[in-house]
Order: sequence, then structure tokens, then C-alpha cells
Amino acid sequence: MIFLRRQMPLLITMITGLIFAAQYYVPHPASEQLLTSATKWLQIIGGFALVLGVTSLFHVHAAKIRRKEAGWGYSVVLYVGMLGTIAVGLWANGKESVEGVSTAFGWVYNFMMVPLQGTMFAILAFFIASAAYRSFRARSREAAVLLIAAVIVMMGRVPLGEYLVPISGDISQWILNVLNASVRRAILIGVSLGAVALSFKIIFGVERSYLGGGKE
Amino acid sequence: MSFAERMLKIDRRIIFVVIGLCTLLPLLYPVGLPIKISPEVRGVYDYIDQLPEQSVFLLSLDFDPASKPELHPQAVAMLRHAFKKNLRVVAMTLWVSGTGMADELLTNVANEFGKQRGTDYVFLGWSPGGTAVIINMGQDLYNAFPSDYGGKPTKGQPVLDGVNSLKDVTYAVSLGAGNPGVEAWYVFGKDKYKFELGGGCTGVMAPGLYPLLRSGQINGLIGGLRGAAEYESLIGQKGRAVAGMDAQSATHVAIIVLVALCNIFYFTLRRQARQQGSQS
Repeated sequence: MIFLRRQMPLLITMITGLIFAAQYYVPHPASEQLLTSATKWLQIIGGFALVLGVTSLFHVHAAKIRRKEAGWGYSVVLYVGMLGTIAVGLWANGKESVEGVSTAFGWVYNFMMVPLQGTMFAILAFFIASAAYRSFRARSREAAVLLIAAVIVMMGRVPLGEYLVPISGDISQWILNVLNASVRRAILIGVSLGAVALSFKIIFGVERSYLGGGKE
Repeated sequence: MSFAERMLKIDRRIIFVVIGLCTLLPLLYPVGLPIKISPEVRGVYDYIDQLPEQSVFLLSLDFDPASKPELHPQAVAMLRHAFKKNLRVVAMTLWVSGTGMADELLTNVANEFGKQRGTDYVFLGWSPGGTAVIINMGQDLYNAFPSDYGGKPTKGQPVLDGVNSLKDVTYAVSLGAGNPGVEAWYVFGKDKYKFELGGGCTGVMAPGLYPLLRSGQINGLIGGLRGAAEYESLIGQKGRAVAGMDAQSATHVAIIVLVALCNIFYFTLRRQARQQGSQS
């Protein structure tokens, strides 16, 4: 049993990891066919993962409703929304429009999902302004440098700012292309090296957290 | 409580009203300030502009309705440019929640130019797997998308004539709001299958993609609403992005003024505290 729960997944991870690491450098048609097959399996698993995600969501919120935990009313709303959208989607055969005419599913998408998602992100602008007013203070030299750079970039990225202070456009371009790009590149390289190290640890079985908990 | 203290603790609803007015008034009374074109946006525009007719242009609309205000105008402007140049447009999305929106925008712009689905453009739709879809398309496009969004088989469509994989795509642009997006298209697409790649993204994401731009991994970057406005100016067809720039200008300046005031009050309070400290 321990072999199935521990050793076998580690073995599969190591063999698959090494094969596909090598596959990248092998241009042989068999290698390309292996990649094609594997990515097809990944897509199939991705589809199943969606079903798994939805099932898990149902399960979590069902428990919340049953136990009448704080906020269980929102779980009911979630249930109604999800079941309603699934029912409407199945009825419309997954089509948002048929011959130019919007289906019920299309109506739900265009008049509920699109405005709701847009609204959620639109209100962020107000909270950002409020947060900037309360916390964007030059408490130290570093904060002052950050503040000045932010003001220059904010001015330089809009036509009114470039009209009022023409040089702000060029300076903000320099900040983005030179300062920002170099620092982001350094972070990207660091993160990528970390990802390579983590990948090696997973492939060789040093990192096993993906196997989940439980005592051996 | 001193004036500075009261101003620092001001009700945030007043700030919300200020931002609301700065957004609404320029939309009602537009000013139309000139927009300077950046080299990043020009990179994408110039590349598409020099493509011969009937070149294959892949547009991956990797965003959902939450990012619609910034990326939708970018998509509309690029599609108008592509259709004007008579390119073969292959559109798709890696984000399931953006599928309907992507199909609608593609259809609307195509109808403006009298373009035919299947002959001049195709919408492949969405397929699960994220980056696996990109790899699968790179190996065999018809394997990744056996049918298009409307259910028609992709093989045999005139728009996909001669296109077997990503290697046959002349230019690809990913308009991404996150992951998978531009970076995924470079890592799993361009790096292996060697097509030219451009990018579009939200304003918040743009600084993070500058390393890819500076190293030539993407040949251009359309960042946020400003990028969309620049692209609209380049194609000579101003739309929602240009209209939105006045509101964005006013809001940016309002936030700068608010931050400046906040710092003036903060330093005033600090000086008062120091003076009281030295007196006692």
C-alpha cells in the first residue's frame, strides 16, 4: 500500500520528468509524437479538473448551508447562480447565440456575467484612490523616491500629464524601459532559477508536498 | 483636532465622489488631447502593417470581462487593422470566461469589413489545458481544435489553408490579462515554434512584460487603455480607448493632487509634533 501511495507516484514523477526534460532537446519525430500525445492527455485532464473544481465548490457550500455557518445565505445564492447557469447552458446546448439570435445562455453571459465582472474591477479604481490618499506618504527616503517615480509615471502615461509637463513622457519611458525592465529581469531570473531548482527537487523526489499529507 | 489631522482622516466617500466626477465629466465633455505614440505600440503596428495580404495572423484573446475595458479596445483596433490589411485572422482564447465576448467582438468587427467566417477569419474558441493548448497547436493545430467555435471542422476551411501548426503562423499577438497570457505564449509557443510574437496587456501588467520587450522576445507591447488609444490613433479610427483617455487623464491628475495634499498634511503634522516636542 505504501508503495502505491509513496514510491509509485515518486517513480512516475521522476521518469516522466526526466523524459520530458530530455524531449525538449530531441527533434526526432517519435519525440514530437510523444509530446503531442502528452499534451492531449493534459487537455483531457484539464477538462476533468474543471468538473472536479465545480464538484468541490458544490460540496464546500453544501456543508456551509447544512451547518448554517456565517454567510450561508451567500452560499445559497452561489448554488442558485451555478445551477441556473448550468441548466440554461445545457438547454441552449452551450451556444451563446444561434444564427445571430442570443440564447438564454448568451443573455446570462452578456447581461449578468459581463457587467458584474466589469463592475468588480471598476470599483477598484475608487479604493485605489482612497488607499493612495491614506498611505502613499514619503515617510522615508526610499518612500520619497518611490513617490516621485510614481508621480512621474502617472503624469507621463496620460495625455494631460504630457501636455502639462512634456518631459514627463520621456522620463516615464526611461523609468519603464531602463530601471523597471532591469529590476524585473533580475526578479524574473531569480524566480526562474528557483522554479528550476524546485522542479529538480520534485523530479528527484526531494520535494514531496504534492503527494499530500498522511503518515506512512 | 488640527486641520491637517482632519484632512488626513477625511471620509473616503468624498474621495470616491472626486474620482467619480473626474471619470464622468470628461466622458460627457471630451477634450481630445493629442496622444503621443510610444515605440512599444508602434512595434506591433509596424509589424502588422508590413505583412503581405493573406498572411496568417493569430490573435489570442486571453482575457475575461473583468479586463474588457482595457483589452477589448486593443482587440477591436488590432482586428480593424488586420482586416484592413486583408490578413487571414485566426482568433482563439485560453480563458473560458472570455469565449462569448471574444466571439462577439470578432464577429462585430468582421461584419464592419464584410469579412466571411471560414474564408477570411475563424474563431477557434476555447480548449482546456492552458499552456498545453499552445503546445498542442504547435504540434498540430487540427488536433488541438478539430472544430471551430461554431462546430464546423477546422480542416478544409479556406482561412486555414496551408496552416498545420503554429509554425505556419506569420504573426501572433496575445492580449493577456494574466496567466495564461503573453509569457505563456512566448515560453510554450514562440520559443519552440519560432513565430513572431507581440503582446497586449492591462496597464498593471505592462511593466512586468518590459524585460520580454527589451530582449526582443516580443516585438511590441500594447499596454492598457493608453496603448489601445495609441493603436486607434495609428489606424486612424478613434474609438472607446481615445474617448477614455480624457477620463483617465483627469483621474490620474486627481490622484496625484490627492497624494500631494496627503503628503503636505503629513509633513505639516510632523512639523507640529516636532515643535510641540521641542517646547515641552
